[in-house]
Amino acid sequence: MRLVAALLLVAGPLAAQADSLNRAFDMERRGNYAGAVVAYRGVLKNRPADVSALLGLERSLQPLNRSAEMVPDISVALAANPTATALYGVAVRTYGAAGMTDSLRRVVERWSQLAPKDETPYREWGNALLARRDRTGARAAYLAGRQQLGQPTALAPELAQLAVLEGDYATAAREWLLAIRKLPGYRSGAVVTLRPTPDAQRAAVLKVLQDDGSPDAQRLDAELRARWGDPIGGFEKLVLVLPADPVESRDLLRQFTEALRGNPAPAYRQAMGRALEAMAQRSNGAQRSRLQLDAAQAYLDGGDRASARRMLASLAGDGSTPAALSASASGTLLRLLVDEGKMDEAERSLSQYRGVLSVEEMATLSRQVALGWARAGQLGRAEALAVGDSSVEGLALRGQLRLFQGDIKDAVELLRAAGPYAGTRAQATARTSLLALLQPIEEDTLPALGIAFLALARGDTAGAVPGFAALGAARPRDKGGAELLLLAGRLEAARGRAPAAEKLFRAAVDSAAPATAPAALLELGRLMASSGRGGEAVPVFEQLILDYPRSALVPQARRALDEAKGSVPQ
Amino acid sequence: MRLPGVSRRDFLRVAAAVPVIPSVMPFRQPMRADWLLIPMDDVQAEHLKAYGLTFRAIQRGVKAEWLLNYRGGSFLLPSDAAAARDAALNGITVEGLSDAVVTQIRGEIATSNMDAVPLEKAPKVAVYVPPFAAPWDDAVTMALNYAGIEYDKLWDVEVVEQGLKTYDWLHLHHEDFTGQYSKFYLNYSGAPWLAEMVAKNREVARQLGYANVPALKKAVAQDISAFVERGGFLFAMCIATETLDLALAAEKVDIAASYADGTPVEPGAGARLDWSRTLAFQNATLDLSPTTPVFSDIDGHQVNSGDRRQQLGTFTIFGFSAKIDPVPTMLVQNHRDVIPDFYGLTTSFTRKTLKPGVTVLADEPGAPWVKYIHGEKGQGTWTFYGGHDPEDPQHQIGDSPTDLTLHPHSPGYRLILNNVLFPAAKKKELKT
Repeated sequence: MRLVAALLLVAGPLAAQADSLNRAFDMERRGNYAGAVVAYRGVLKNRPADVSALLGLERSLQPLNRSAEMVPDISVALAANPTATALYGVAVRTYGAAGMTDSLRRVVERWSQLAPKDETPYREWGNALLARRDRTGARAAYLAGRQQLGQPTALAPELAQLAVLEGDYATAAREWLLAIRKLPGYRSGAVVTLRPTPDAQRAAVLKVLQDDGSPDAQRLDAELRARWGDPIGGFEKLVLVLPADPVESRDLLRQFTEALRGNPAPAYRQAMGRALEAMAQRSNGAQRSRLQLDAAQAYLDGGDRASARRMLASLAGDGSTPAALSASASGTLLRLLVDEGKMDEAERSLSQYRGVLSVEEMATLSRQVALGWARAGQLGRAEALAVGDSSVEGLALRGQLRLFQGDIKDAVELLRAAGPYAGTRAQATARTSLLALLQPIEEDTLPALGIAFLALARGDTAGAVPGFAALGAARPRDKGGAELLLLAGRLEAARGRAPAAEKLFRAAVDSAAPATAPAALLELGRLMASSGRGGEAVPVFEQLILDYPRSALVPQARRALDEAKGSVPQ
Repeated sequence: MRLPGVSRRDFLRVAAAVPVIPSVMPFRQPMRADWLLIPMDDVQAEHLKAYGLTFRAIQRGVKAEWLLNYRGGSFLLPSDAAAARDAALNGITVEGLSDAVVTQIRGEIATSNMDAVPLEKAPKVAVYVPPFAAPWDDAVTMALNYAGIEYDKLWDVEVVEQGLKTYDWLHLHHEDFTGQYSKFYLNYSGAPWLAEMVAKNREVARQLGYANVPALKKAVAQDISAFVERGGFLFAMCIATETLDLALAAEKVDIAASYADGTPVEPGAGARLDWSRTLAFQNATLDLSPTTPVFSDIDGHQVNSGDRRQQLGTFTIFGFSAKIDPVPTMLVQNHRDVIPDFYGLTTSFTRKTLKPGVTVLADEPGAPWVKYIHGEKGQGTWTFYGGHDPEDPQHQIGDSPTDLTLHPHSPGYRLILNNVLFPAAKKKELKT
């Protein structure tokens, strides 16, 4: 009975104090900071070194901008329990907020005596001074810590970030190298903070890294170069310091590819190809094949066809390549050959794949080869390859081949038979637009039109435009003339020849061709607006809306009109 | 004989109306209507642009009418080729009406809680806009641009030197009239836009001979208050509402943090505020934290203050008697009564801080705050609308501006544009 009574006597005050602390927490949580301050102080009255109450008091005073008021509370707390290191962090922030620099220094000294191997007192000291925008004081604090601890790498991340704040990127690079040496994980932090180095300081940063010469410095150098517009230089730096261990090497290379990802510039794509190829060399099996294929694609995107072909040939000739990857590689290699105009080689490759690839894959590749022959001017060979293809894509291709020969009637029939859904969405849209252009033409054959379209298919826009323009000008506007002028205008606009395009668009605006005129007006207005002639574009869009109110282009014209007037953000 | 479910009035309206909807009819077709009705109910394809059409018609000298509470607050214009062309270009739905149908409508208006208010003179509009690129949008500027309503931009120099004497309507949006840079000074330290904002404000304060930016802003607030007293129409949103009144109340007290004026806030500043000078608010408690972008307990939502932040709900527009209270009725014309709320640095106004006599136009039922308020001072009137952007509930610093082509029916934006047209109402017709 006596024992129970004693426990109750002790438990009673303890429970009351816990309640007080909970009440204070609750007030703080509800945003009643002034009330929380009073409540936390109530707890501290009985337990002056209660860390939870002190931290709560610190949090509550901060939004009231009264942090400096904690000075008496923290002094009492430290007197009550001078060995509790948890109190010292609060003390440092409090003295810092109050601007009591001497007290701040003294409390750091006491803290460091309690924890002589710990960086934390000096980190908190520097941070407290930084919060007061005292960068000089902060640097002195960090350096004092480094000296006191006798560790040249101590507080390097803090010093690096301070140097960045001061715009001294070379010093930041030096400090980051120290930090990385101690803990390699700091490299990502180093890259993030050094990435915005101004152009004028980049050479100084690279010199710091070169002078250091360590593998860590070389890797950092490589990643920074990649982010500063020299990805190939970066790769060449990196490859020199790759470790022998393939796993570690792949990891470093993968990090490097992160710096390249998302940048479509040829140099970046080529560097990506080289990095992926290097990763493939350090991999086996399906992973190796996949990396080789990705490398080939990156090389292709970067315009390095020779390297792409090398990758693909290696893949295609490797018996251990998984079937799916082998098919992808074969297709990519064939497309490469077609793009390069090496049609004999492409057709030979095609015959080699027979029996290896699926029927569908073979048909797709055959159509590509046929189109390649057509572009090469060998329409007979193209027809021979396409003639047996009765798929909708095959019909579309045959329609295109008939068009190249100027056979409008057959071309329209085949394109119509292919329907609006064959191929990709872009192909289907292009085919529908082509049909819309051809249908008003009454002649069964028009060789000049075929020649112009073939030139376009070869990528010879400059050669195609005069053909379209001449045919358009010579024909009645409602018999395909307006559409041909509009097409010629669009091609000229795409080539950046705005005056020529404008002339063609104006010629295509004719009430006799009510389906074409709104499209020509929209193109004309957009062309003007894009060249800073928004004021001139306004009446053009207005003409479209007022003269062709039933056109499906009216909503686009209203939007363009709003933009030209500056009524909506662009 | 009567068609089931169709009243005679509805039948006549449909039968006699010439269905001139220029968005689907060739503009050059001759129009045979005597009147053009711009319906503002759900039939309208471009609610916001309809205000611009009416504004431009008034500018051309056309005598327009605002049919309060009739089909969402429609507009009626004499048949006019320019207006029809304007409607066609902007995709605004208009209906051609004969004299007989308009007479029918007038009869309906006479016997219902509706009224027809003549709109005679387009107000000269000024928007208070700082001359630097702030990383946030301005709902009113966007609404005016989208509707095609002309306005002048002005800032502190023009207000102080010219005193707003040539304008009828003034809009304020995201300006901190306490001169503390929206209290972003510490949190966004180093941001180029903040550096520019501080530099421009300080430069203008020096140029106009004020000791610091808070002193300049107090002077600007006084000039704006004087503009209202002389008969001006003031419309304000976001923190311009709250800080304008705080600046007026603090004319002789320093409530600015030391980073703004070099001196700490005056001890006991809150108790020394003079609320007799303010337009809308009284007895508010200041929030003096220099790092929390909250100014006082005028704002009910406290969006930037952690646990005090309140969730967004919806607000309800009040109905007024069109014939007895045409002014509040004009300000609340809409095709929706309940509108989703949206944050701003000042989102709403706590009921406890409203002065007696303030007219509440919209509130969140059951909540301790209101959204949209109106009042008079001297010869003029003011309207305050809480929040930043009615179609971007949580607009963040750096967000791209709202594209109003995606919100042509925005009821929240309609409240803004009601304010632009309301000063055009013929004054002798106003009963309050």
